[in-house]
Amino acid sequence: MDATMHALADPTRRAILRLVRDDEVAAGRIARHFPAMSRPAVSQHLRVLADAGLVAVRRSGNLRLYRWRPEGLGDVTAFLEEMWSDRLMALKTAAERAEWPARARAKRPRIREASD
Amino acid sequence: MTGPQSGAVERTIRIGARPETVWRFWTDPERICDWWGASAELDPRPGGICLVMLGGNAVMRGEFVELVPYRRIVFTLGWEPAPGAPPVAPGSTTVTVTLTEDGGDTILTLSHTGLPPAARDQHVSGWSHFLPVLASAAARRPRTTASTD
Repeated sequence: MDATMHALADPTRRAILRLVRDDEVAAGRIARHFPAMSRPAVSQHLRVLADAGLVAVRRSGNLRLYRWRPEGLGDVTAFLEEMWSDRLMALKTAAERAEWPARARAKRPRIREASD
Repeated sequence: MTGPQSGAVERTIRIGARPETVWRFWTDPERICDWWGASAELDPRPGGICLVMLGGNAVMRGEFVELVPYRRIVFTLGWEPAPGAPPVAPGSTTVTVTLTEDGGDTILTLSHTGLPPAARDQHVSGWSHFLPVLASAAARRPRTTASTD
């Protein structure tokens, strides 16, 4: 998960992921997306993404084709979902506790009427 | 003040999405990063900032000039001085994007004026690369929140 987080913690690498999200994209086309960056710098970003399992690489002739690997996000997604559902439970408890006195008051007359 | 200018760079592309959708890809900082920037800051109103960072220190600094919802966007385009960045000062060139609905699609026309001859080729190849990326990003079917399932 550290490698995944590190790979995601860079705007250029996130831009590469958006580019390869739906299509297999050749390295040259990815490089054209970053006209002010050198080819070695782009290659280094692609290597970080590949090492983290976020993109898959395939060779076709002399082309290197990159594609997003959604399953590469598995650990990070599970971690965030776990944290998020824990926070949602805390919100539920706090919100219900905040309304508790008002609800108790609202209920009391009805109970009295029923018992009268 | 202005040096020699080359003719406008013009590009037209058909996009399989409605102008309302395409509009968001120019005015929403999240959406503009689907095709152009690595990060962006946009304030889509006349005089508002239009800042798009391409990665590798290339920063496009512009300003919105005119916005006609879903039909026309005009902004200035320039690059902050950096190695590899085109020699175009912020505020010195103008991009006009027009969106025309056509049978549920959008015909997008881009006209980039005021470029110095030395920067023209870079922008011709730049728009030739980025506009097709915009077209496929905008035409992509809406993503669902459960797409990783």
